Amino acid sequence: MLGRFDYQRPSTLPEAGRLLAESDGPAAILAGGTDLLVDIRGRRHDPRILVDIKRIDALRRLDVDPAGALTIGAAVPLNEIIERAAIRQACPGLVQAAESIATYQLRNRATAVGNLCNASPAADMAPVLLALGADLIVWSLRGERTMPLSSLFVGVKKTALAPDEIATELRVPVPEPGLRSRFLKQQRLRGHDLAVVSAAGAYAPTTGVLRLAVGSCAPTPLLLEPIEVGRSSKAAVEEEAVRAVQAAMRPISDTRASADYRRAVLPVLVRRLVADLLAEGGAP
Amino acid sequence: MEAASVPSGLTLLEFLRDRLYLTGTKEGCGIGECGACTVLFDGKPVTACLVLAVEADGCTVETVEGEATDGQLSVLQRAFVETGAIQCGFCTPGMIMSARGLLRRNSNPSDDQIVEAMAGNLCRCTGYEAILAAVRVASRPPAEMLTGEAVGSQPVAETLTGETGTERRRFLRGAESTRKGGRR
Repeated sequence: MLGRFDYQRPSTLPEAGRLLAESDGPAAILAGGTDLLVDIRGRRHDPRILVDIKRIDALRRLDVDPAGALTIGAAVPLNEIIERAAIRQACPGLVQAAESIATYQLRNRATAVGNLCNASPAADMAPVLLALGADLIVWSLRGERTMPLSSLFVGVKKTALAPDEIATELRVPVPEPGLRSRFLKQQRLRGHDLAVVSAAGAYAPTTGVLRLAVGSCAPTPLLLEPIEVGRSSKAAVEEEAVRAVQAAMRPISDTRASADYRRAVLPVLVRRLVADLLAEGGAP
Repeated sequence: MEAASVPSGLTLLEFLRDRLYLTGTKEGCGIGECGACTVLFDGKPVTACLVLAVEADGCTVETVEGEATDGQLSVLQRAFVETGAIQCGFCTPGMIMSARGLLRRNSNPSDDQIVEAMAGNLCRCTGYEAILAAVRVASRPPAEMLTGEAVGSQPVAETLTGETGTERRRFLRGAESTRKGGRR
C-alpha cells in the first residue's frame, strides 16, 4: 500500500475542479504518477485525495496545427510526443528533451505537463519549452488563465498554481521559419539519473534571435534574455551566452555534482549548444 | 472473469502478486528504476509499482504468466534460455515483458532500438550482452526454435552460441553509440 487516500477519476474538467475545490485535505493531481507516487511512497507527500486526470478527453490532446503551433495536453505521455513525426520535425529539441527522460516504461506514463508541475530544478522538459516560448493553460472553477511558462516556477518543487488549479495544456507558439531547437543534458548515467546541468536553445535564422534556457543550476529552470545574434561572430555569441549563463546561475552541491563542477561544465554545454544552433546550414 | 474491489492505495504490482498470486512479476526497487515489475498496460510496457491497481479498471494488463502456452515456453522465453540470458532470473520477467512490448511494436528492431527498449530493465548478473542477444534471436528465431525443439538440444545451442559471439560485439558497439548519444 502506497498510502491512505481516496482516488477519483473524473471525466470532465468541472468535475475535477470540484473535487479539488471541495477536498477537505491536501489533494494531488495524478497524471503519469512517476513523481507523485514515488513521493507518496517516500512519505514526502501525504494527500487525502488523488484526482486522476487521464480520462478527461480534453487533456489527451496532442496537436500540431498546419502553421506548426503545438498543443500538448496534461494527460499526454512523453512517448506520444516522441513518436509524433510532425513534432520531431517542428521542434527537435523538444523530442530530444523527452527522449532523455528516464526509461521507455516511465515515458509511457510520465507527462510533459507533469514534469513541469513537479517543478524540479532539473525538469528536463523545462529548458526547451522555455526557449520555445511556451505558455501554460491553467483551469479552475474560477476560470481559465494563460501564463508564460517562465512564471510557473517559483522555487524548488514550488509552482505558482493554486491548490484548486489544473494545468491543462501547453501551447508552443508557431515557430519562426527555419527555427532550430536543441536540448543538451549532462548526466552520469543515461536513463537512471537526473540532469547534472542542462541547456536548451531555440534560434531563428530569419530574425537572428537566440533564446536560451538552462536547468539544474538554480532553484528553478532559468530563461535568459534573448540574444540578438545580428552580424556577431559565432565566437562572440558563445561568449555572450556564457556570460549570461554565468551571471544567472546559482548552483548548489548535491549528490549528483558539486557547485564548482556545475559552474565549470554548464559553460561547456552552452558553447556546444550555441555552436550547434548557429552552424551554417544546420538542420532545423 | 472476476471483479475485484481494491483499496485506492494498492499498487498494480501488489494487486498482481498479493491478490491474484501472479508472482511472476517481481518487485525490485518500488520506485520505477529497475524495471523488474514491467508489465504491458494496454499493450505498453510500464512499471507496475508506479501504477495504482484502481487505474487498471477497464484496462488490459499482460504479465509474464501469459507468455507460455500449454506449458511450452514462448519463442522469446526460449531465446532467453538458449542464449544464457538468465542467471538468477529475478529481472527476467520484466526483461521479457519489455522485449515483448518492443517486438510487438517493431518486429525487426535494430541493435540500438533493442538497447533503448531494454535500458529500463536492470540486471545484476549477466552484464546485459546475452539479454540483448536473446532479444535479437527472438526477433529472427531459427526454425528449430519455432518448432519448440530448441530447448536443451545441442545443435541449436551451438548455433546460438556461435551467433552470440558476433551479436555480442555488435551490441557492444550499439551500446557505445547510445552512450555517446546520451552525452552529446
